[in-house]
Amino acid sequence: MARMTTTKPARQRDAIDTRHTGPEHAGGDFNARGREALKDEFLHDSLALAQARLSGSRTTTLATLPDAPELRARAYAIKQDVIAHLDTYLERLADAVERAGGHVHFASDGADAIEYISGIVARRDARTIVKSKSMATEEIELNHRLEELHPGLEIVETDLGEWIIQLRGEPPSHIIAPAVHLNRFQVAETFSQVAGEPVSPDLEALLQFARRRLRQKFLAAEIGISGANFAIAETGTIVMVTNEGNGRLVTSLPPVHIAVVGMEKLLPRVADLSVFLQLLARSGTGQKLTVFTNLITGPRRPGESDGPEEFHLVLLDNGRSQILGTEFDEALYCIRCGACLNVCPVYRQVGGHVYGSTYSGPIGAVITPLLKGDAVAKDLPNASSLCGACWEACPVGIPLHDLLLKLRNRETREGLAGRDQALLFAGFAQAMAHPTVYRLGAAAGRIAQAPFIAAGSIRRAPRPAGRWTGTRDLPPIAGASFRDRWKEGI
Amino acid sequence: MADREQFLAHVRERIQSGGARPHEHYQPTVAPDSVWTPNRPRPSAWEPSPGELPERFLAELRALGGTGARVSDTAAARDYIVELARQKGATLLVRWGDEPTEALGVDAPLSAAGTRVAVWGRDADARDLTATADIGLSSAECAVAETGSLVLVTSAERGRAVTLLPPAYVAVVPSARLVPRVTDVIAHYAQAGPLPASLCFHTGPSRSADIEQSLAIGVHAPGEIHVLLVE
Repeated sequence: MARMTTTKPARQRDAIDTRHTGPEHAGGDFNARGREALKDEFLHDSLALAQARLSGSRTTTLATLPDAPELRARAYAIKQDVIAHLDTYLERLADAVERAGGHVHFASDGADAIEYISGIVARRDARTIVKSKSMATEEIELNHRLEELHPGLEIVETDLGEWIIQLRGEPPSHIIAPAVHLNRFQVAETFSQVAGEPVSPDLEALLQFARRRLRQKFLAAEIGISGANFAIAETGTIVMVTNEGNGRLVTSLPPVHIAVVGMEKLLPRVADLSVFLQLLARSGTGQKLTVFTNLITGPRRPGESDGPEEFHLVLLDNGRSQILGTEFDEALYCIRCGACLNVCPVYRQVGGHVYGSTYSGPIGAVITPLLKGDAVAKDLPNASSLCGACWEACPVGIPLHDLLLKLRNRETREGLAGRDQALLFAGFAQAMAHPTVYRLGAAAGRIAQAPFIAAGSIRRAPRPAGRWTGTRDLPPIAGASFRDRWKEGI
Repeated sequence: MADREQFLAHVRERIQSGGARPHEHYQPTVAPDSVWTPNRPRPSAWEPSPGELPERFLAELRALGGTGARVSDTAAARDYIVELARQKGATLLVRWGDEPTEALGVDAPLSAAGTRVAVWGRDADARDLTATADIGLSSAECAVAETGSLVLVTSAERGRAVTLLPPAYVAVVPSARLVPRVTDVIAHYAQAGPLPASLCFHTGPSRSADIEQSLAIGVHAPGEIHVLLVE
């Protein structure tokens, strides 16, 4: 299996080991991980199936929306307004949450968010935390850091796929299908370790085991931690969509609910949901609506006996503000539906782990270098054919392929692209600017390539072209140029 | 709070660093995905008459794996619930204590049939009992025909756990409370003033495709859902 860490044996406690290698310390590079992933046949088949299933239903359900093009344009316009006036909306959101009886914390980075949450854990003397799937908490490696700060604290991911990979000590491999790289025998093996007795690889048996085990955790937990799909400035409402119901349990049963939300996830008004709810589930899974679409506004009201007593909203910057005011700010329009992963030909071949980041696929290739810096993620913008399928699928119309190209440009300007590439492009620029250089270069190339041509193409070339021929053939320069042939009447 | 001011000032500064630049919406040179192509042949918008809402709702719910039925009155709804409890051999049913659920009058016939009833908002132990109940029973604010969704809001008598923890869940909604679309519900609450602590679109049985992408029903929330539309 291609993954960044090796599987660790289960500890007695259910939260076996949530430590996984984050983007900062991912071993090897994209290409090395990619080569491994390409050998994994199960991964390959499941990715092909997942893409066909998810993008197939997406197309079918979206096509029944008569005003889909207008909704997409409207979604883009709303997000553009949000990002252009983010400070105003954030302030409005914070005021509204407080009016509803909740608490707001502005966290400039992961450490800041963790410190705040850690304070709540200590004050409530929490032993068990249940979590529903949240990319923002993956991004700040919340589980690992909190367990370090609070020995004995158990943090349980409750989304079925997320729980499985938590037990295995792996990061998610897809935004909405985190365990897509595993088969049921691997799942049964993991569950058997947790159970201390064999669990059958039968789907129903696996499901029943997960339901029983996680139900105990839901009932015992002192704190529930979730992400959010949207946060509504007007009312202080957070919106979460889930299919299993774990999101609703996490936010309903424990006495404390903490929502960790990227600060760009704002929508101005409740009415804006009519645009985004129509697009989100259809784009992600091809459902008209997920099983649970929850609008949560503050803690429980007087007289109510479930729902949290305390509600905390942690608004996370963690590098997002560095994207504001730049040519990349459309990347902040993302609603994390996963549609771009489901159509990407590169993601289809290698899966999510190869990206070495919380966020994989085209959107991951765009936001990882923006959040973490080009130096740690310089391969990602290059892991694209620039076919634009991601942009086509995006329900908010983020020009992902365009942003990938801009990131490549930025890498080259920063000198991160490597000497060979810089040399190649400098030579190319000279040749294109000066016809004589171009002609001489082509003539020299014709002579130099001769020893490398086999069966009409160049299979193996020396540096710098060797990087190209390492994975594909290079077409040789034609014997006569178009200009020459034109002169001779073609 | 100081760090709030700092945080917001930093965001403001970053936005302004880009100048007065709401940049132009990216314009492609080739036609995008047919879904987004404005001039593709479009499906016509659904313009339902009130009469077709119940059938559409039930069809959507069934497609999701739920069970639904139209019943003539609350007495028929009550009979359905008592019969369901009998079939399942239910020993405990937990229900909302709100007026519409109360009005079903299920308590006495269920007790007679051997099913204990706990009432949310009335019985002190209802919260604890919910975790072991066989059936949850509630009303709903309204139901959405287009998606087969129930719209649930919370109050002292309407607990979230009732609709979440039992393996089987029954909701009773008057047919008159059906609305065509999700956007109708959003439009209503956008105008209705402060939102309840929880407003939930509950759409069919709990589902997961996390193991080998095979559909699994009822992993956390009820896997069995019955919606009774009362004429």
